[in-house]
Order: sequence, then C-alpha cells, then structure tokens
Amino acid sequence: MFLTHQTDVAVRHQHVVRRRDFLKVISTASLAAGTLDFSAGALGWRDVMALEATNLRKRGMACVLLWMQGGPSHFETFSPHSGDNRGETKAIGTSVSGIEISENFPIIAKQMDDLAIIRSMTSKEGAHPRATYLMHTGYLPTASVKYPTFGSFVAQQLGNAAHELPSFVRIGDGRQGGVNGAGILGVDYEPFVMQSASGLPRNVVPTTDIARYNRRLNLLEGLEAASEYPRGGGASDPEIADHQKLYRKASKMILSPSMTAFELEKEPQQVRDAYGQGPFAAGCLMARRLIESGVTFVEVQLNGWDTHADNFKECRRLCGQVDQPFATLIQDLKERGLYASTLVVWMGEFGRTPKINPRAGRDHYPKAFNVVLGGAGIQGGQVIGKTNGGAEVTDRPVTVPDLFQSFCKALKIDANHENLASNGRPIKIVDKGEAVKELFG
Amino acid sequence: MPLRLLLAFVACTAASFAWAVPDVAKTAARIDELLAADHYGDAEPDGQSSQPEPLVDDATYLRRVSLDVIGKLPSPEQITQFALDPSADKRSKTVEKLLTNPHYGQNWSRYWRDVIYMRRSDERALFGQNATTAFLTQEFNKGTDWAEIARKFITAKGDISKNGECGIILAQMADPSNVTAEVSRIFMGVQIQCAQCHNHPFDRWKREQFHEMAAFFPRIAVRPSFQMGGRSFEVISLRRPVGKRSPADTEGAKLEHYMPDLENPEAEGTLMTPIFYATTQKLSLGASDEDRREKLAAWMTARGNHWFDKAFVNRMWGEMVGHGFQEPLDDLGPDRKPLAAKTFEFLSREFASSDYDHKWLVRVIAATKMYQRVSRPRHDTSDDQFAASCTQRLRGDQLFNALTSALGIDEAELERRRGGPKNALRAAANTPRGQINQTFGYDPSDRRDEIASSIPQALFLMNSPDINRAISARRGPLGQLLDKESDNEAVVLELYLRTLAREPKSSEVEKCLEHVRSTGNREAAFEDIQWALINSTEFLYRK
Repeated sequence: MFLTHQTDVAVRHQHVVRRRDFLKVISTASLAAGTLDFSAGALGWRDVMALEATNLRKRGMACVLLWMQGGPSHFETFSPHSGDNRGETKAIGTSVSGIEISENFPIIAKQMDDLAIIRSMTSKEGAHPRATYLMHTGYLPTASVKYPTFGSFVAQQLGNAAHELPSFVRIGDGRQGGVNGAGILGVDYEPFVMQSASGLPRNVVPTTDIARYNRRLNLLEGLEAASEYPRGGGASDPEIADHQKLYRKASKMILSPSMTAFELEKEPQQVRDAYGQGPFAAGCLMARRLIESGVTFVEVQLNGWDTHADNFKECRRLCGQVDQPFATLIQDLKERGLYASTLVVWMGEFGRTPKINPRAGRDHYPKAFNVVLGGAGIQGGQVIGKTNGGAEVTDRPVTVPDLFQSFCKALKIDANHENLASNGRPIKIVDKGEAVKELFG
Repeated sequence: MPLRLLLAFVACTAASFAWAVPDVAKTAARIDELLAADHYGDAEPDGQSSQPEPLVDDATYLRRVSLDVIGKLPSPEQITQFALDPSADKRSKTVEKLLTNPHYGQNWSRYWRDVIYMRRSDERALFGQNATTAFLTQEFNKGTDWAEIARKFITAKGDISKNGECGIILAQMADPSNVTAEVSRIFMGVQIQCAQCHNHPFDRWKREQFHEMAAFFPRIAVRPSFQMGGRSFEVISLRRPVGKRSPADTEGAKLEHYMPDLENPEAEGTLMTPIFYATTQKLSLGASDEDRREKLAAWMTARGNHWFDKAFVNRMWGEMVGHGFQEPLDDLGPDRKPLAAKTFEFLSREFASSDYDHKWLVRVIAATKMYQRVSRPRHDTSDDQFAASCTQRLRGDQLFNALTSALGIDEAELERRRGGPKNALRAAANTPRGQINQTFGYDPSDRRDEIASSIPQALFLMNSPDINRAISARRGPLGQLLDKESDNEAVVLELYLRTLAREPKSSEVEKCLEHVRSTGNREAAFEDIQWALINSTEFLYRK
C-alpha cells in the first residue's frame, strides 16, 4: 500500500524520480534523523514527508507569499535607479548576466536563475489600505462584496479539508484587521494567524494532560446532548452541530503529530543557521516546515517598508532581514524537491517615488513597481517589463489582474472559477487580466 | 406675550408632548397585531410555518434582556429574585431598571464603536476608539436622542481624545467620499457609495447624487496633534486649500468637491454643488464647512426624512429580535422590500414621534410578544423570520463580560497583571478585553449568517492560560464554592446559574454528578464541568 501510494505521487512529480533513486524510499524511510541534505544523496525521511505533503494538496501545488507591508521601494530592491535620484544604493550584478539588482541583496543575487522580476507592475492605488487590499485580493474594496484574499482562494482551490493543519497560515500581525481574510469564502478559509514564528501559535497547548483534555471534550459533548435547549438540544440543533464540528477540528489539529511543523526547535541547528537570524528568517523557515507538512499557503509578513524618511538606511536594514532567508528558502525548497510545485512571491502594495524627498525618503508610488516570483514552473533568470528610470512603464505593463492571472496559471487554478457573494452575485477568482506568458517560458 | 396666550401655548406644548411620546404598551401591542396580520396571520397552505413560537420562560427572558440592554449576564441572585417575583409586570419593570444601569450606555457605545471603527480605512483611527465609546456611553445614559447624537457626529470638530463624536470622520481620515458613504450608511441605511463610480443598475441613486452629497464634506481635515497623554488627532475645518487633508491623504485637499472624470482620471473633474439626495435640499458653492455640515445634519435628522428613523429602528430591531426587517441591517434600499413592511413603517413613525428616544424604542421592542418568543437558530428561520426570536452570537464585549462574571474575573486586576495598556492604539489589541474582541468580535453590520466561528476562538476558550487559571478549584470563586458547599448537586446548580444563567435540567445534573463520581476527584471534576460550560454552544449565544 505504502509503496503504491508513494509511486503514485512520484509519477506526478517527475523531478523527484529523475533526481533520485526512488526505490531507496523503502530502505531509508525508517531513518528517523533528518538533516538538511544540500548534496544529492540518499532519500531521507524528509523526502518522504515532502512527498506525502504534496499528495495532501490538490494538484500538489503550494504557495509562499513574502509580503512586504508598507510599499517597498523598487529602486532599493530589484530595480536599481539609473537616474539622478539614485541616492546612495548601488546596483550589483547577479548570477544571470545582464540582470542587475540592488546591492542590498547580495545573496539573492547569486540565485537570480531561480527568480523572475516583473519591473513593470502598475496600479493606481497609492493609499496603504486600498493598495494592500488590491494586492491581496486582485479587487478594490467595496462595501457590498468582501473579496477573498490570495491565500484564502488558494486554500479553497488547492487545500485538503481533511488535513489536520489549517490550509492557510499567516505569520506576522500585519495590522490588516478584517480587511483581507476569506471574505465571501467563509470561515474554512480564514488565515490561521500567528503573530510571530518565534513560538507556537496561541492557545494550541492544552492546559491539562491529554487524557483529561479528552475527558473534558467528552463531558462537553455529553452535556450538550443532555441539554434540551432551546429545542431538542444535541446534534439536532444546527448551532450545536456546527460548534461540535469546530471543536473536533480544533482538537484534531492541536493533538496532531503535524503540529511539530510549528516547532522550529525541531529543525537541525545548521538549517536554522542557514536561514539566519530574526523574525522574518524564522517566518521563512516556518513557511518551509508548514508547506512540507501539507499546508497549502503561507504568508510571511515583514513590516516597515513605508520609508518616507531615511529610505536608504531603512531599505538596507529591511533587505538585510530578507536577503538570506529568502535565498535559503528557495534553495531549501529546491533541495527537497518542492520548488517546482511551490510558487514563491515577493511583493508589497506599491513602489516608491523616483524623486527623493527632503527627508531622504521616497513617497508612495503605484505607477511603476516590482514583484518577484519563482518556483511552480516560473522561468527564472529573467526580467519582465521596462520603465524609464522607474517612473513610467515603457514596455510590457503588468496590471494587478494580470499578476493574479499569472498566480493562478502557476498554481493550476482556474481563474474563472466563480464563488457566490452573499447578494447572489457570482465573483470570479480573478476578473479580467491575462497571465504574463513570458513567466512560463 | 399676553398671559392668556402664553398659557394656551404652554398647555398646547404640554399636550402635544403628551401626544408625541407614544405609549409603550400600546405600541408594543399594536406591533404584535400588525405582525400577526402581516406575517403569520394568513395561515400557510401547509399549516406548518405560520405557527409562532410561545413566549420564553423567565430565566431565558432575563438572560436575553440583560445581554441585549446592558451586555451582561444576570447574576444568580438576580435570576432567583426575578423567578420569585410574583408581579405580572416584572418583565417591563426589569427593562426599566436595566435602562437606568450605566452599562446600558456602555453596552451600546461599544456596539456603535464597532459599527464605526470596523469599517475604518486607516489603522491610526483606532486612537479614537476609546473616546468615541466614552462619548456615546455618556450620551446614551443621559438619554440624548438619536437625532442629536447623529448631529454631533456629523458636525464634529476638535481633538479626538476629548471629542469622541469625531469618530466617523477620523475612521475615514476625513476623506470626503468615504465620510459621505459612512454617514449615509450609518444614519440612513443607504449604501450610496455603490453609486460612487457608476450608476448602480438596481438602485435609484445616480453617480451625480453621490458626489453632490460628498460636496458637504470637502472642507473637513484630520491633523495629528499632541495631547498630554501623547499622540492624538484633531478634526478641523479647512478655510483655504492647504496640502494634505490627513496623514493618509495622497491627493491634497480642495475646498470644493469634484466628481472624477472616469475617462480621464488625471483631469480635475466636475465641480459639485452640495445637494442632499434624500430631500434635494441644497447649499451654494463657497459655503463654510460649519454651514455645510450643520445644514446636512439638520436636513438628515428632520422629521420628514424617514431613512433616518428607519435605519435606527431596523438596527435595534435586528439586534434585539435577531432578524432585521431588512438585511444587511444597514442596507435599506431604496427599492427593496422589507419583511413585515407595515410593522416596520409603523414602528419607525412612532420612533420619530418619540423624538428619536432610543430608550423608548428598547422599551417597546422588549415589550412585544415578538421579542419574548422562544428562539430558533438562524438557519431555521428562512421562511418565517418573525414567528420566533432568532439566536444571536454574543459580540466580543458581551462574551468578555459573560466570561468575567461567570468565572469571577476582575477586569482591572487582569489588566494590572498584564502591565496595562500603553496607549489607546495598543489598548485595542493588548488588553484582555481587546484580545477577546479581536478573536470573537465581528462587524455588527455584517449579515449574521456570514459570521462564523473560527479555530482560534475554540482554542482560546479551551486552552487560554487566563481562562484555565480562572477555573482552577485551588483558588478563586470555584474553590470558594467547593469549600462552602459540600452538596455536589448544589454546586452544579450554582455553576449553571453563574455560567448559563439558568437552572440545569435533571438530565444535565445527572450527567455532572456522574462525571464527579467517575473522575474520583471532586476539584478536578468541577473544573472540568466549569470548563465544559464556558465551552458550550449555549454560552456563546443569546438565545
């Protein structure tokens, strides 16, 4: 049974078979100790786990969104400035000849082969809340329809409801309130939010031993069945039935062995070191652990990109938090055979003005900005679109719907799939736009 | 004025006053008649769905009305007193008593805080939350009528820390279009913003009308300010076009409102004259900010504008009965059919006649048979909403109050242990109350069938260390109860009264005693029981 199951997976993910001798699964699956195996070696239990994880998701696809809250300057990240307002940040070459990015990303520069840069993103939304909403949902906010956020519709389309962990995990507080959750898709696809990756999510550890915890759950079910309130009680009351369903789901989750995915201490020290220090690094490592254990979508947030003052210093600091973890995440996903089925997206809500303001800052600028993508069939090592000095798009403009169409294409999601809003209106996952075909080679 | 005439005038005013406030009991009775005729009066062909539910027992009524009016559970003493009170009018007497409780204002101020701030367009607006709650608490408790409260919100000015009525303008960072949309939605139940970008296919309002309304607000602005306690914001009137309208502004302020040209967004657009779409009353260009907002406030709250009375009645009815005449509660039309249209019309007119007295409205709704009927879960009620009361999920604040009273937690003590909130912005998230609001709170304007429970909610109630500390039998109220009371059945009774505000059924007592026996540890068993009760469905709902 086990063998058949794994073979099944293997056939669909040929990169694994190609790279490794698959029969070794059987002989090495019992090796309990997992090490980060950057060299091509034996297939460890982690590979088996990764295969199981891919099988847990429909079409085997997953996504990591690295969300840069505040509007990261395109100039100081992936589109170095060439004009008079260059400021102090210099451009550096990358592993792909002809592509230069900002010197703030020396490690990512070595991995340019695995990433595509879109430099011609363009939108009209220059205010944080609206632009954040737009870049998370593909739609502008309205009072009548609550559009689902990216992670929620991916979870709906690709997640496995039977999996014990939530299919959408968001790491970081982001201060986005209710503005971008599951919206019309409902509670099943709400992000499971962790304030930080430095510890377990809140309240997942029972305050009693497991036997007593189960005893309490039984008592609760027994009392609800005994209650005749308000009419009949027990499972004949739809509210009680829903409540019990939720409690079973929550209990199953926290008692699940998969919960170890939330424990970074379980990761070998060398891997933790490879990701580097800081909350964003912890978030990236957590993202990989979660994807590996079957979670469909992980959003890792980094705040602070609203650099109206001290843009250059601030960008250097923020890029420093991103560079190593982002690069390691890609390398790690590749080594585990997960990169081909995992879309990795780096973006924020808009770019920043070509002009430098008197406080050495750059202000909001949605007219031209950049987004970086990799994995899931995205052809790396390329730049899409051109601007004149980062001010206006001069070639290959990419709108937000175009970007969302591209996400769907990479993840093999039908962008025309319609969900019903509460007013009965059918809402497409993405309305209008066309996938950026250059991304797919 | 000659004395004779003056006396006649006084008599006349007194008489019209006496006429003006409609009698509570009569109004309530009339509503039940109208509902019967309107709704379940005509027997359905199948004879099934038209049977209204009977009235609830005393305990259910007391829990329901306490949660609705003051946002709290009744105490075991209050439940006992109420049950033993033989008087026929004890239900209306209780409502009267609850309306004089300061928690009445507190409860509804938190409700409207959520209505206003859950739709904020900028996180910095959260600085104003506490001030808005304080302002509303005071006004509701003083009995300030709803029209006057609305006028204060619309004409608000000054520092947010002292003028909570700045809340709506602050929540939208003085953006004229967003403030227009919110004022219209909150006070009139009209979602005029649907017409902001295009003529709405279903609604009567045109795009011009939205922007004519927005022309009442081009001269408002929000400025950062510094108060003794630290950072704050103030709402000011613009006298000349200066820079940005607010810290969130990206376009810059103009003294008049322009409707954007959709074909050419870079162009200035069409200059709009302030016209109030509901009555077509207008002002000329160049009017001062004060003039614009005072006129709009006066026109909106004038007796003839029925959107205003209906919007409030629909909300209060929706919250108390569990199902609005129209849903969502803040979307009345124009061309949409309400449920029980005659009842809605009648109650709205009478509310206007009461001079928009919110306490009067609470009295009337609570006095109807409709309010007192046994509840059904929401998904059951699709064909016959007004044959039963409809269960409501507790809002975050109600749940917090219920938890603290059921478990004997002292809110102030809990805050002290956490180190207390550093500022208003943090307080929203970092106090124990704020955390429950963050986990369990919902936008009260959303359709209730769209508000679902989440895994973090279940995890909080099951595993939060604060909760589990509070149910420990080694200390605190449960420990004291176990020390004092050796009869296990009496302990079960007390826990049910504290937590669910009712007596347990015999089947429930049996189940609990069985649990005590099989556990073999009295303290642990009762901790389990207390745990199960606060994790029950019933605890989370107003039935």
